[in-house]
Amino acid sequence: MNPFISIMLLSTLVLSTMIVTISSHWLFAWIGLEMNMMAIIPIMMKKPTPRATEASTKYFLTQATASALLMLAIIINLMYSSQWTIMKLFNPTASILMTMALAIKLGLAPFHFWVPEVTQGIPLTTGLILLTWQKLAPISILYQISPSINLHLMITMSFLSILIGGWGGLNQTQLRKIMAYSSIAHMGWMTTILLYNPSLTMLNLLIYIIMTFTMFTLLAQNSTTTTLLLSQTWNTMPIMTTFTMLTLLSMGGLPPLTGFMPKWMIIQELTKNESLLLPTLMAITALLNLYFYMRLAYSTALTLFPSTNNMKMKWQFYPTKQMTLLPTAIVLSTMLLPLTPMFFILL
Amino acid sequence: MNLFTSSILLTLFMLTTPIMASSTNFYKSNKYQHYVKNMTLLAFIISLIPTTMFIHTNQETLISNWHWITIHTLKLSLSFKMDYFSLMFMPVALFITWSIMEFSIWYMHSDPNINQFFKYLLIFLITMLILTTANNLFQLFIGWEGVGIMSFLLIGWWFGRSDANTAALQAILYNRIGDIGFLLSMTWFLSNMNTWDLQQIFMLDQNSSNIPLMGLTLAAAGKSAQFGLHPWLPSAMEGPTPVSALLHSSTMVVAGIFLLIRFYPLMENNKPVQTMVLSLGALTTLFTAICALTQNDIKKIIAFSTSSQLGLMMVTIGLNQPHLAFLHICTHAFFKAMLFLCSGSIIHNLNNEQDIRKMGGLYKILPFTTTALITGCLALTGMPFLTGFYSKDLIIEAATSSYTNAWALLLTLIATSLTAIYSTRIISLTLLEQPRFPPLMSINETNPLLINPIKRLLIGSIFAGFILSNNMPPMTTPLMTMPLHLKLTALMMTILGFILAFEINTYSKNLKYPHPSNATNFSTLLGYFPTIMHRLPPHLVLTMSQKLATSMLDLTWTEAILPKTTAYIQLKASLLTSNQKGLIKLYFLSFLITMTLTLLSFNYLE
Repeated sequence: MNPFISIMLLSTLVLSTMIVTISSHWLFAWIGLEMNMMAIIPIMMKKPTPRATEASTKYFLTQATASALLMLAIIINLMYSSQWTIMKLFNPTASILMTMALAIKLGLAPFHFWVPEVTQGIPLTTGLILLTWQKLAPISILYQISPSINLHLMITMSFLSILIGGWGGLNQTQLRKIMAYSSIAHMGWMTTILLYNPSLTMLNLLIYIIMTFTMFTLLAQNSTTTTLLLSQTWNTMPIMTTFTMLTLLSMGGLPPLTGFMPKWMIIQELTKNESLLLPTLMAITALLNLYFYMRLAYSTALTLFPSTNNMKMKWQFYPTKQMTLLPTAIVLSTMLLPLTPMFFILL
Repeated sequence: MNLFTSSILLTLFMLTTPIMASSTNFYKSNKYQHYVKNMTLLAFIISLIPTTMFIHTNQETLISNWHWITIHTLKLSLSFKMDYFSLMFMPVALFITWSIMEFSIWYMHSDPNINQFFKYLLIFLITMLILTTANNLFQLFIGWEGVGIMSFLLIGWWFGRSDANTAALQAILYNRIGDIGFLLSMTWFLSNMNTWDLQQIFMLDQNSSNIPLMGLTLAAAGKSAQFGLHPWLPSAMEGPTPVSALLHSSTMVVAGIFLLIRFYPLMENNKPVQTMVLSLGALTTLFTAICALTQNDIKKIIAFSTSSQLGLMMVTIGLNQPHLAFLHICTHAFFKAMLFLCSGSIIHNLNNEQDIRKMGGLYKILPFTTTALITGCLALTGMPFLTGFYSKDLIIEAATSSYTNAWALLLTLIATSLTAIYSTRIISLTLLEQPRFPPLMSINETNPLLINPIKRLLIGSIFAGFILSNNMPPMTTPLMTMPLHLKLTALMMTILGFILAFEINTYSKNLKYPHPSNATNFSTLLGYFPTIMHRLPPHLVLTMSQKLATSMLDLTWTEAILPKTTAYIQLKASLLTSNQKGLIKLYFLSFLITMTLTLLSFNYLE
């Protein structure tokens, strides 16, 4: 689209998230969230296909509902505490409503239904923005109200997200939907530890953003959106197959790759707080995620699908897409595990 | 210092020389057979020296040679026990083997592998002697297994015939079941008495426990073809006649009885085991005698006769008379081997015809064989003052005058009369009346290789009983007085049997042959025992093992319960979660319901 429009939309997007994170007045934070939604809808409609239209509509409806609920919670909080400062909430009803509103915004279960459909309808880079940048604002609000969130509600929603993220991804071949379910599952991991040690939520978010960014950029090089296309990258860019496999395994949480770090820290923190069954079940269901990542890694790097000989000799063009920060991102998403103490201290 | 130990060791060593010569060129020549026969003859003569010394001066020896291994506190060495039993058995066994070897030079004359046959017979003889002279259970087991293996090789001599292979395998299987009992006893002795030496076992056994004796009884039942483990003996007649004569009448099948005789110090204090042995022997002797009545193969009748006599030996052991049983072993060997040699002569002369319905009228044609056959049968039935009388009559006397199981006694007496009946059947169908074989047969018995062995065994069948019972030192108090009717029991039963046989033969000779009745079928098919037991138990066991091992363990417990169920659950759950219809209204409805429920439950349950 027109570069001026594009600059304006992107800068609004960045500005709105920054408004949400630095504000201390509830109304201002709500305005930031609204600006966020408004800015991203045109970005999602870059190519005005019916699918993109449908995706944008669904996104708009869910986010608007969530914002309305958020406003309701703010007003109830105002009624009971007579102040607009962003801190812990003073009423359990307000707390529950705000938690659920932010859950709708993030895509936690049982409010997860929009995530795969929206992600599937939009182009790859927009999907990247949707799954990474859009999570910053709600998580920052959750971080600030974390002392007043109802534990049972949070744990239920997050465990349910992990389960649904695992089971839902098993049945997919479209890569964007797989990334959507992976996002649901990672959100589940993040919100589990929110009430025990919020710094770990931040750590998990950071690592998740790095890994998802790497994954999407790798996928965007060849515009691969299905498993079948992914299985043909060995022909055009063989190096990419190795990196794809490593990044996928890192997302699955395999040591010694980076993705193991947040899971390890979270399980350690949970066991310090004497909940033993929950981390066990979470670790076991993380295997479901690993299974469909492994399936992708198989078809990409480890096996060769039967194909005709013609398909084995694709015409190699010079790559025209910008590989922004891809080497850095790959290194960050696979080799950060030895630096764990640093992150622990930083956050 | 005398020749005792040297003679024994020389005897045993001399027999191994032809085995060692089998790796040379001599093995391929025609003289090898005579060499083996002469070696056996020399071994017999030398073995008479220690036996005579024993008879006259009551010397017994224990030769303990070579210390093989010590495992913790168990010392295993090569030791030979030359006592009453082994010293009397050795010359008898060697004499009979010598005669059979001479006979088989004639019988197996046209066989290309005749030298191997002699080698096998010799190895069998050596293992049998190891068995009888063993002083510890380990050496006995070596001999025990050795005779089993040689029996397998010799029964399956004509291995091109599938029946012979089946019979050899059957012999091994039934013997193996008996070996379970043997191993059980060995283990029990090892763990309770810390030894396998007979002397220590006899010294330490105060309470005469049941387990080892029952194990030994099972071993004897397997090796000596008692009821339940008996079908292999008639099937073993697939082997050549010398094999039947040596193994399955005189020597190998008595190994089981010999084992029980060896352990008589344990058995004489254990009444329950004695009763068990008595009952088993009585049942065997009657059952196999019934089966012998309607068989048509001459070798099978003699095989069942052997089985019946083995049952009688078990009965004797059950009456706590081991020395009488041993005497019966020695005397029975003579006439049974001779009966087999005579049947071998008849079979070869009639061009390999074994069915007695196709023989007849050999009385005038084969006079010497006829003489030997009739004498053997009479000795078998216990005709007074022939060989069999000295052992069999004493057994019946001991049975009738001891405080024992009347049912076992009754069965034994009935079996005695049945012995007479089937002996009469053999004689009348093979020797008497008109010939039923094809007319162009070249029948002659002029070969000295055939005549001399039978002649020797004939003299043995007549006089051996007298010689043996006069020279064997008495170990038990003989029974001196008894009522007249008890004394005459055996004789009366035998005469009754003969009369019945002749009567029935006479009045049914000219009748039309009827369809066999149910009783005849029972007897001919060996009591349906092989029919049932060779099919049904294997089928049941195999089906059960398939159900348990494959279906239950493999398929269900290790495959279906965890892995397949988990996979199934994951599949269903994933289908459930990812099959979305895409209708936004439904999503919002779910959001509304969730919110309502959450607000209600978390607010008002606090």
